[in-house]
This record gives sequence, structure tokens and C-alpha cells, in this order.
Amino acid sequence: MTLTKEAVHKESPDLKEGVLLECRDISISFGGIRAVSDLTFDVRENEVYGIIGPNGAGKTTVFNIITQFYKADSGAVLFREANGNVIDLVSLKTPQVVRKGLVRSFQNIELIRDLSLADNLLVGAHIHFETSVFSQMLRLPAARREERVLREKAMQVLSFLGLTDRADQLAAGQPYGVLKKIELGRALLSDPRLIILDEPAAGLNDTETEDLTGLVHAIKKDYNCSILLIEHDMRFVMDICQRICAMSFGKKLAVGTPEEIRAHPAVQEAYLGEE
Amino acid sequence: MKLTKTKTFPYWKYIIVCLLFLVMLPLNAAGIVSGSTLLILGTVIFYAVVGVGMNILLGYSGLITLGGAGFMGLAAYLSGFCSTRLGLPFILCLVISIAVPTVIGLGIGVVSLRLEGFYLAIATLGIGEILRQVFVEFEPFTNGFSGMRAAYPKLFGIVLTREVTYAFYAIILLIVMILVHNIVNSATGRALLAMKGSESAAQAMGISLLKYKLIAFAISTVLTALGGVMYMHLIKYSYPTVWGLGMSLNFLSISVIGGMQTVLGAVLGALFVIAVPELVIKQLPVIGTLTGVAYVFNGLFIVLVLLFYSDGLIRIGSDVKKLVGKIRGKKNDIDQRSGT
Ligand SMILES: Nc1ncnc2c1ncn2[C@@H]1O[C@H](COP(=O)(O)OP(=O)(O)OP(=O)(O)O)[C@@H](O)[C@H]1O
Ligand SMILES: [Mg+2]
Repeated sequence: MTLTKEAVHKESPDLKEGVLLECRDISISFGGIRAVSDLTFDVRENEVYGIIGPNGAGKTTVFNIITQFYKADSGAVLFREANGNVIDLVSLKTPQVVRKGLVRSFQNIELIRDLSLADNLLVGAHIHFETSVFSQMLRLPAARREERVLREKAMQVLSFLGLTDRADQLAAGQPYGVLKKIELGRALLSDPRLIILDEPAAGLNDTETEDLTGLVHAIKKDYNCSILLIEHDMRFVMDICQRICAMSFGKKLAVGTPEEIRAHPAVQEAYLGEE
Repeated sequence: MKLTKTKTFPYWKYIIVCLLFLVMLPLNAAGIVSGSTLLILGTVIFYAVVGVGMNILLGYSGLITLGGAGFMGLAAYLSGFCSTRLGLPFILCLVISIAVPTVIGLGIGVVSLRLEGFYLAIATLGIGEILRQVFVEFEPFTNGFSGMRAAYPKLFGIVLTREVTYAFYAIILLIVMILVHNIVNSATGRALLAMKGSESAAQAMGISLLKYKLIAFAISTVLTALGGVMYMHLIKYSYPTVWGLGMSLNFLSISVIGGMQTVLGAVLGALFVIAVPELVIKQLPVIGTLTGVAYVFNGLFIVLVLLFYSDGLIRIGSDVKKLVGKIRGKKNDIDQRSGT
């Protein structure tokens, strides 16, 4: 891994000052259909950034490209690591991405039913477990300490989410709103610098959405990270994002502040066209 | 709540199970439990060891193997060969007989783990059958159809008696259960369950699927091989037809019937799959004399468990607890995760 880092460093892809992530001309096709086409946008440090667009616009596909679940046909996904190094995520395997400080949630909740809520959060802390299978098997002091420290951290996140009393309950059978929060919490446990949320407010009622708005603000402040999210709930997006990228049929329509996006003719057309 | 939970000693249930096995020894000495029953219970013990390994695969990792019998047989033959022909001490036989199948298993694993579901089942079935064929053909090593003989384990220069071997096995089972309990309740166990629950989420959280699939296969192969060594030095006889698909299916039954996402379930499963047919069904008038009645019984039982009790028999304990709790109106105190 150090090798690739070095190699990347030599080419040293540049990112503008204050930019955390940049998708540069990314494209992908599925059997002739261009799901994402030459898309470029960037997310700054400590920014909440939204991606909007009609169903099938390619939003989730963009997330899959960023997190290396899909490999882009062309283009680069540049990310600034904690140490300032800029890397192209395309050179990484899927599970390596989170180690760089970038973590995602899923449009269809992907939690582990057989684990308690606390344990689900601990799955998010996986990259911080450094002891070997053997020391875990023998419960050596190092393994026990690590487990204790990270479990405490998980409990802190649970209390941040207001779910302390459910810590030991299984994920299976929890209400939808709780599951959504746990997915967010799981992402937090990896100590990310960028959290990518795929429709975090989908399926939530008004109070829950308000709750989520508060959480996102608190995360930005307390955890000092940027948030990139996809959302159909316009009020939520407009409320929460500093900048928004509107896309349709895999292409960028416009980027701007919520006001600019709301007023943008191409965006209005895409949304009116959809109805 | 969490704090008190981590502080309580989590191994009592395993110790109790071990003691229940051990208590058969004085009962045997007193003439209450027969020698053949003791032998069957010894068989249950090594099947339980293999079953625990099967649970790691099936219950915790969502992987399957139908080649278990081949690896168990390989370990049995290796241990027989090392002890009888080479005269090596038991501990060394044990190490060799576990290491070789595990290395072979991992090698095959790297290739076959790229397969999923049915394909993995078929591939492992093929590997198991190849191994069985090797036992038939490789006569200088295995004695072919005439079979290979072995003795009870020889520890510290003394050949154990049947009773001491039995006690020794009960303690091996205890150690296995405790170590596996630790694994499944650690970050490794969570990673395995995450992989089973959602491969996407697992990868997004930094869990390498290949690495954890190999870990799961390694643990299960080690335990299967350990079971093979135990088989060889209790049954003291091995011939190729034993190590066929039927036995691999027994491992599946043990896992499913007992409760695949538990450690203790394997013991319960082994009791039902191995001991109940021998000790109960075969004693019944008429039905007991039919050949293959054990298989019919197991088949029926799997269907019943899958239909009505898909978490396995181990859940009976916590369900009863739940029921009692409900009656007392203390629903909330019940730890939903009991049974692991
Ligand atoms: N793995 C794939 N194979 C084939 N086509 C795909 C694949 N993934 C996405 N697509 C296609 O790419 C297009 C964009 O899909 P995507 O899921 O990114 O849309 P979206 O903007 O997230 O929509 P929604 O708002 O409904 O979630 C769709 O036409 C979809 O069918
Ligand atoms: Mg989508």
C-alpha cells in the first residue's frame, strides 16, 4: 500500500486548496447506456453537498463509482487524505476506500440483522481493530482493551443518536427511523472525513427528517467532516446543503447554492419534465 | 448494562455441557450407563467439534461446504499413519493431521471461494469425493478398502484407556467451544456476520471478503480435521466408504438442527443427529430394525426444524426464558442474543 501511495504521490494529482473530493470527468456505461457521462464536481472540506436528480439520473451510480463498487470507464476520483496527500481512489479496491477516510451508507439499508445495534456500529469501526484473530480468540489483553475502547466509542455514538437504550437489541425488527440512524452512526465509527449518504431522509416522517437535519449539522460540527448526500426531499436538501449538483440522464445540469439551483431553468425543466 | 454483561463469566454453559459429558464416566463405572452408550457419546463429542466448525461457515459466514467428510477423513488417515506407522507422539500427530488438511483447504479455498452458493456447494462436494477416491486408491498410505487401524491416544508415553480418552475429548470440546465463543464475539465474528448479512456493507466498512472467507474456511477446516483425529483414536478404524457425502450431510444436519448461529447448538445437533438414532430410534420395536432409519429420521427432523424452528433447537432455551419473562411482565430484561 505504501508503494501505491508513493507512486500516486509522484504523479501528484492536484486538488484546489480546500477541496476534499473531486470527481473529474467520470463516466460509466452499462450495456451501451451511459449511466454517468463526463461528470465533474467537487466537495470542499467541512461542506454539506447535495446531489439531486430524477429517478434513474445516475446518482447512486456516482456514489458507487466514488466508493469503488463500480470502476469508472474513464475519469478520476481524487481525494485528499488526512495527511494532505491526494490520491486517485480508482486505484483502490473497494474495502480499502474506507481506510482513506471516506465512508458511505446505502439507499436500501444494509445493516446486519443478526447483530445488536451496538455491534452494528462496531462493524463500522472494523478498520480500527488491529489485533489478530489469535489474540481475539485467546482474549489477550490487547484484544480486550481494543474491544473495550471501541465499544465505548460506539456507546458514545449511540447516545449521540439518542439510541442508548436500544444498544443491545438486534437490528432485525427495529423501526425504519432507527435503522437509518444506525447506518449513519456506523459510518461515523470509521472516523471519516467524508460521509456519503444515499437518500438518508427517504421513508422518514417529518419529525424524523427534522431530527436528521439536526444530526447532520451536529456531525458536521462535532466530527469535523464533510457530507455528500443524495436526496429527493427538496426541503431537506435546500435546508441543509451549502451547494447542490443537479443531474439528469447521467449528466450535470447545474451546480450552485440552493437558491441558484431552485431558480435554474434546466433544473426546473428536468423536474417538470418528470411529472 | 453492557458493563455488567462483559463482566459476567460467559463460559458457564460450556463448562456445564462438559461436566454433563464427564458425569457419564462415574455413571458408567457404576453400571448405569453402558460402555456402548459411552462410545456413542464420545462420537457425539467429536461430531460436535466438527459441528462448531460448520456453524462458523454456515451460520456466521453464510458459506457452505459439502466436502467436510473428505477433510475429516484425511486428518483421520494422517493421524492413524503418523501414530501407528511412524510411531509419532499424539500431539505431533495432531499438529500434522490438522496442518495438512488446513493448508490444502486454504489452497483450494483461494480458488473455490470465488464461487458462491450452489457452485461452492458443488465444488466442495467434488473435492470431498476426490479425497475419498484418494483414500481408496492410495493403498500404501490408507490400506484401501481393508481399512486402517489406530489406537487410543498416547499421551506422555501412556496409551489412554477408553474412559480417559472420553474425558480427554470432553475437555477438547470445552476448549474448542470457549475459543470459538471468543472468536464469534470479537471483531472477527462481527466481520463474518457482516459478510453474511451484506457483502456491500462489509466491503464499505473495510472488510475484505476474500480474507474473511478464508478465515472462516480455515477455522472450520481446523475443527473438521481435529474431529477426524478424534474419530481415528476413538473408533480406532477407518475405511474409505465412511468419508462420503452422507457424513458431510450429517455435518449440515448437526448445524441446522442444533442452531447454526450458535456454539452450543452444535452439541445439541450432534446429540440429535448421532445419539438419538442410535440410543432411541434403533431401540424402538419394528421401526428400529429398518436399515437407514437414522437418515430418514434426520431428514424428517431437518424439515421440521426448518419449517418451525429455523433458529435451531438451541432457541428452545431462550424461548422458554422469554415465555417465563412475558408471564412475569419483564419483557425488557431479556437478552435477545442469548444462545451464542
Ligand atoms: N449494475 C448496473 N447494471 C446495469 N445498469 C445499471 C447498474 N447500476 C445502475 N444502472 C443503471 O444506471 C442508471 C442510473 O441508476 P442509479 O441507480 O444511479 O439512479 P439514481 O439516480 O440513483 O435513481 P434513484 O433516485 O431511483 O435512486 C439506471 O438506468 C440504472 O438502471
Ligand atoms: Mg439511487
